[in-house]
Amino acid sequence: MRLGKPLLYITFFWVASLCSQNKQLLYDFHEIPQSLMVNPGVKTMENWHTGIPFISGLAFQAGTSGVTVNDLFANDGIDFTNKVQERVLDAMTKGDDISTTSQIEGFNVGFRGRNRPNDYYSFGIYGETDIIVYWPEDLAILAFEGNGGANIGRSFDLGHLNVRGEMVNVFHFGVNRKVSNTLTVGARAKLYSSIFEFKSTKNSGTFSTTEGLDNIYANTIVADMELQTSGVEGILDILEEDTSTTQKDLASLFAKRVLLGGNLGLGFDAGFTYKLNPQTTITGSVLDVGFIYHSKDIKNYTLNGSATNEGIEVVLPEDIINLGLDLWQDLIDEIEESVPFDDNDDGFISLRPIKAYGSIRYDFGLREASNKDCGCGVNAGGSSQYEEMYRNSVGGQLYFIKRPRGIQAALTGFYQKKLGRTLSLKTTYTVDKYSLSNIGLGLNLQAGPINFYILGDNLLSYQNIADTHYASLQFGFNIISWNDN
Amino acid sequence: MKRLFFLGLLVLSVFLTTISCSEEQDFGQFDDLSITPTVASSIFYLESDEAFINSVNTTNVFYSQVFNFDAFTEQFVAERLLEGTISYEFENTTSKRLNIVIEFLDEGGNVLDVETFDIDSLPTLFSREVAYGSTGKSLDILINTSNLRVTASNLSDTISVSSSSEPKITMGSAAEFLFRLK
Repeated sequence: MRLGKPLLYITFFWVASLCSQNKQLLYDFHEIPQSLMVNPGVKTMENWHTGIPFISGLAFQAGTSGVTVNDLFANDGIDFTNKVQERVLDAMTKGDDISTTSQIEGFNVGFRGRNRPNDYYSFGIYGETDIIVYWPEDLAILAFEGNGGANIGRSFDLGHLNVRGEMVNVFHFGVNRKVSNTLTVGARAKLYSSIFEFKSTKNSGTFSTTEGLDNIYANTIVADMELQTSGVEGILDILEEDTSTTQKDLASLFAKRVLLGGNLGLGFDAGFTYKLNPQTTITGSVLDVGFIYHSKDIKNYTLNGSATNEGIEVVLPEDIINLGLDLWQDLIDEIEESVPFDDNDDGFISLRPIKAYGSIRYDFGLREASNKDCGCGVNAGGSSQYEEMYRNSVGGQLYFIKRPRGIQAALTGFYQKKLGRTLSLKTTYTVDKYSLSNIGLGLNLQAGPINFYILGDNLLSYQNIADTHYASLQFGFNIISWNDN
Repeated sequence: MKRLFFLGLLVLSVFLTTISCSEEQDFGQFDDLSITPTVASSIFYLESDEAFINSVNTTNVFYSQVFNFDAFTEQFVAERLLEGTISYEFENTTSKRLNIVIEFLDEGGNVLDVETFDIDSLPTLFSREVAYGSTGKSLDILINTSNLRVTASNLSDTISVSSSSEPKITMGSAAEFLFRLK
């Protein structure tokens, strides 16, 4: 039990701080087959690949644009309430978020078309969890300070409540085509099988306490709020049953929903790689353009309306007829009628968080000419066989993701070094809302047909992992064939 | 194959264990978090014009009512109430000298506390703040209050008329309380 609470906090901050989904190290790292998942139009050179099930692609990303674990829980002797006041309430705004994204590949397989060697097909399954919680600035201040004292006259914005989360299983099939020696394009179709989702992203309204027209204070609420959920009730029902079959029932429910038994959706990815000249390449991709239609296991909650309360009011002689009535209960009923808290089971559509990448890369540093095991056979002809002859690459990448409060962007500069055929290294420097000092390092190891990669982000923060605003780790194992065997 | 798998895990382990570390964290500090918001709300407003006061000439009490008022006895409130004040504001533009009594009653109708206000007939504006908690009256009064009895009496005649344009007595009241949410 003693471990319970620390574990809870660690889990909360780890999960809550997983974030941003940017895979700048993996992007355009074409030696890694999973780079197809962030650009279906990336240059492919292998003949086929297969990821080792469940360990071919594991991605965990961590970050928070506001407070860190260390800011609050460092054993520094400072009063905890003061730390919360100064580092959370006084410092964080509604634009700060804590969020989570994690992906686990079930399997990932790719192969080159026998009759169409310029086409590379890939398919697989992965599970994704994505949760984002914007800091509810005004609601937090209302909870900590209340509506009295210095907050008389302040309008608390109920729209600061903004949260979205989902767990989804994705079945995908993609085609990557080398159109010419300079252009490669690709697209990937996706079938989403939702396990659960909740979102409350379009809230508006205010709560304020001002000088009353008649009485001393007037409390006014104007609310248009909604929390939409799908798949949550079923899970909660099982957890609340508290029977010996809880674990089994949960596993059964998850298995059913993973295998298309829940709410379904469609989407696609698209991308390209274009060589401006033998040494300069531009790329771009757009991911998760799609939606999920939620019609099963729906439970939505709404709070709509407006009311002003100045307490129990008796105005004589008009109200002399109300003698004996329960005016307190009447007041409560009136407020609840004016601002009803309701629920419904209306279906809804949720859009996937669309992501986009773009990059420009300059290759330099010729090495000894050799096409051995490079997979260039599939790209034979033209200048493509020289692509692998550059040992170094340098360039920049852009990343965008559509979030409930708008588009988040990240800018990355990178340097990539190939050490023979077996080892490639990529280092990145990324600037985004979470960090201005994000240096990442990726390693791709190719030993015969066995491929192993590990990509770590924001390495400087590992000196004190509890103080990091952003960290990520991706790794996986694949088997790659460069030839026809 | 197996060797490379374990090699990969080794690289991963070495990578993580060699470069990552963390300052000492004390998650038990969360227990020290103190959340004490101040909640403000009006409670009761009474207004009566002079004509109505004059119309009640059989007795000097022109208004008496017992209100069910469970706001303080709600378990959530009762358990977390730390201290606070109840403010009363009066404005009298009638020609009457008035007396208003507010009694705090428990569930059995027993009087827990009484606030008495004598209001002059001259155009009068005054307020009173009553503190509860460590520097004032006992919080038990509020925590056990289930009803409020408001009694308004006319201490003058029922004939005189004020020269004010709309002569009336108004009484406003509001509470501002400190709660401990955590």
